[in-house]
Amino acid sequence: MTLALLARRWRTGVALLLTAIMLFPVYWMLTVSFTPEQDMRKSPPDLFPVHGTLDGYRAALTEQLPYLGTSVVIALGTVVLTVALSAPAGYALAKLRPRGAGVLNFVLLAAQMVPGIIMAMGFYAIYLDLGLLQSIPGLIVADSTIAVPFGVLIFAALMSTIPDELLQAARTDGASRLRTFWSIVLPMSRNGVVTVSVFAFLWAWSDFVFASTLDNGGAHEPITLGIYHYIGNNNQQWNAIMATAVVASIPATLLLIVAQRYVAAGVTAGAVKD
Amino acid sequence: MTTIAPRATTAAVPAGRRRRNLDQWAAWGFLLPVTVYLAVFYAYPLFRNIDLSLRNYTVRSFVQGDAPFTGLANYGTVLGDPTFLPALVHTAVFTGASIAFQYTVGLALAVFFRQRFRLSATLRAMFLVPWLLPLIVSASTWSWMLNSDSGIVNTALGLVGLGPVNWLTSPQWSLVSVLIANIWIGIPFNLVILYSGLQTIPDSLYEAAALDGASAWQRFWRITFPLLRPVSAITLLLGLIYTLKVFDVIWIMTRGGPTDSSTTFATWSYRLGFGTLLPSFGPAAAVGNLLVVTALVFGLVYIRFQRKLEAS
Amino acid sequence: MKTSTPRRLAGVAVAVTAAVGLTACGSTGGGAGAASTDYTVWDPYPQFDGNAAWTKLVESCGDKAGVKVKRTAFDTTDLTNKVLLAAQQGNAPDVLVVDNPVVSTLADAGVLAATDDTKIETSGVDPNLLGAGQLGGKTYGTPIGANTLALFYNKAILQAAGVDPASVKDWASLTAALAKVAGAGKKGITFSAIGTEEGSFQFLPWFWGSGAQLNQLDSAQGVAALTLWSDWLKAGYAPNSVINNTQTTSWQDFAAGNVAFAENGTWQLGNAKKLGFEYGTITVPAQHGGAAPVPTGGEFVTVPTQKDTARYATDQKIVSCLTNPDNIYATDATLSYVAPAAAVQQKQAAADPALQVWVDAVHAAKGRTSDNLGTKYPKISEQMWTAVQATLSGSKSPAAALQAAQAAAGKG
Repeated sequence: MTLALLARRWRTGVALLLTAIMLFPVYWMLTVSFTPEQDMRKSPPDLFPVHGTLDGYRAALTEQLPYLGTSVVIALGTVVLTVALSAPAGYALAKLRPRGAGVLNFVLLAAQMVPGIIMAMGFYAIYLDLGLLQSIPGLIVADSTIAVPFGVLIFAALMSTIPDELLQAARTDGASRLRTFWSIVLPMSRNGVVTVSVFAFLWAWSDFVFASTLDNGGAHEPITLGIYHYIGNNNQQWNAIMATAVVASIPATLLLIVAQRYVAAGVTAGAVKD
Repeated sequence: MTTIAPRATTAAVPAGRRRRNLDQWAAWGFLLPVTVYLAVFYAYPLFRNIDLSLRNYTVRSFVQGDAPFTGLANYGTVLGDPTFLPALVHTAVFTGASIAFQYTVGLALAVFFRQRFRLSATLRAMFLVPWLLPLIVSASTWSWMLNSDSGIVNTALGLVGLGPVNWLTSPQWSLVSVLIANIWIGIPFNLVILYSGLQTIPDSLYEAAALDGASAWQRFWRITFPLLRPVSAITLLLGLIYTLKVFDVIWIMTRGGPTDSSTTFATWSYRLGFGTLLPSFGPAAAVGNLLVVTALVFGLVYIRFQRKLEAS
Repeated sequence: MKTSTPRRLAGVAVAVTAAVGLTACGSTGGGAGAASTDYTVWDPYPQFDGNAAWTKLVESCGDKAGVKVKRTAFDTTDLTNKVLLAAQQGNAPDVLVVDNPVVSTLADAGVLAATDDTKIETSGVDPNLLGAGQLGGKTYGTPIGANTLALFYNKAILQAAGVDPASVKDWASLTAALAKVAGAGKKGITFSAIGTEEGSFQFLPWFWGSGAQLNQLDSAQGVAALTLWSDWLKAGYAPNSVINNTQTTSWQDFAAGNVAFAENGTWQLGNAKKLGFEYGTITVPAQHGGAAPVPTGGEFVTVPTQKDTARYATDQKIVSCLTNPDNIYATDATLSYVAPAAAVQQKQAAADPALQVWVDAVHAAKGRTSDNLGTKYPKISEQMWTAVQATLSGSKSPAAALQAAQAAAGKG
């Protein structure tokens, strides 16, 4: 075995170990999802659910799938809206030097500091007047407020690394700003698009505050509300809760693995002649 | 070239200025959607929060809408409350330690994963799983793991010969417990952004440095770290803002207790407004605004730093 | 490009003013509101989904009243906040089922309509149960059922430790029993001392059992009650996790067979049947013998104030339907509650004689907001659970903790 191959194998081993440590709580969640009610507080706890039960999964699979679908729709909608709003703004802040950019930067930072519950209360009032309560588009717009300021700042930071010469070259060739953005900047910002998309997806997926304030009782609820069906007023069914979380994580994890493959290496290498 | 009379008001606008004006319009054209979006969706909640903090709200006046204006009285109440100083200290410790560890571990992992080996992309994606879980699930899982009597962590400590620790129920350890859980939850965020930033550094730089005989550490310290500065800055700033707002994790694990030993401004604000049977919205909003002001101060520091970077 | 700070601040100010102006123009006012034929019912039972008996009952009561009813379930700790927000925006539901200690607060805020206006019948309800829904001489709803606390015990553990459950009559004999159980290697008792209303709820039998009253937290009797709990923890008779336990996790501890006694409520009767061991129940003992007064749990069915008072007639029909003897019998069977009216209680005890103990316990129970505490109760309760947490976690002595609590509660 060559030294390089050995090094690669060793790295994979270390990576597996690190991942295992990081994901141990997730393993624990899996364990709880198989634990029957009477063993929940066993002391000392079983590392492996020896007397496992499938009750939690039965409950999750028969009741939670519609909520899962709704969550996917909302999360994907949020991704599209967030990227559409924040990419052009990030480009402008990074490359076009508008006057008052400082103010906008400041406002974007301030916008992220408002606590979620305050935002939700404000949205409740607005949506009640507009009739958008308990609707999916309304929730998509609300969830995007978590991700858009972040998206603008990330796009600005990553797009600022695109060499000015490239854009200058396009301008002298006669391309309009819009054309430059669409044909050069956006493709080169693949990392940025994937990063912002991943975050927008995850934030919308795990959002609870907006869902609970704006969509409770609606025809289509996301999974974060669906889980609360197992938190009754006096009793909680923990194996069902954890089972729902496991079932919900699988499609999202698959999407993430696919998305990560698109983060390309060395985007600017060779693009500009030395 | 003929000289143009200074008095002439119909002098042609110099070509350079016209170009810059067009540039400005174009730039703001790109910014228009976001600006409108910000104005419509953030202004009202922010205004409501400020309004809530300047009035004396009882439950009745919250519902009926007739709360009297009391100026900065709520801020006075908050500053004079015995919980203020502990909450301030805990917020500082919680935020500082969280972002320090999250950033360091995230950066180390990002650098590690930059190398190519089998399964690197898959494992990198697996690191994001903590972020997929609803907070009620991850916080509850940590609660169960850290339970004094039936938690796996104390069992593991027992196996190594150490005594059990009352992670969630003792004032000494409650802050450490929520800190560990929060760091765990925050590592994926740092990993993803820093990894993205690492991709913008061309391989050619590393190859050249390796040819010059630089060690791995020198390569990191002389190339990676400096070039990563803009991305690091935004990561740290956003990490700070988001950590200041964290309350779900703490609330579910310890409710800020026992006896305020893990109370931060965010949990205090929530407890005042929504965590009791008798909400006090005024002080809750006042604490929330104090958080916003703190975050804004750091925001200004960041903008200063960004300016310096651009100038250099 | 240098932009001076004053100019930047001015820019921000302009932006904010513009935004405020925009929002002021399109500001609130009683919103669009629900269509007048759609009636909304909110309740804290998210465990009942679309196919559950309760949901079908709500819908059928709506049909009988001639309207379409939409039911929404909320997490019980969140329901109050949602109701306040909705009431502020003029979007309150038509019928609201809510936990009883909150009723006075909502009534005081003008969110609930009194039975004088809604014409709901409450004459058949036990007075001690109705007390929680009364404020200033008016009644604001009717109970859907009641539950209360008792001590469950694990027969096998007590037998192995040589303890006769009948011998547990007061605090001294209970502590002695716990000592014997600890000697035999198991934990003695588990309860919930968490820093929420659940913790207060579980502490009250001991607090009242010592003779203390809620308007004087730091009386000698109150200190005695808190010392009892704190001594148990120090001696190891109660596990440290009680500080963070909800009533559910405390029950799980008991169900795992780790503890001899568990302080828990009637709603666990359904789960008790699934236990892997034989169990029994005794009333919580008072300090010097006899049964300690226990607090009432359970929800009230209320009608929030509506702008259109003509809706009250239909609301009253829905509420009467939900709380008529047959429907209440079925609902309380599902929730494992005791019925609020004597006639239905007899029916419950006839169907299951073991319930008689619980019926008697409910008769002896008191509402947390009674004794004219009303809206003062939430503040007192919060201070009480803070004092319990401070003592059990070792930060303060029982006397000091309760003194601080009384001072803070008196301030409000």
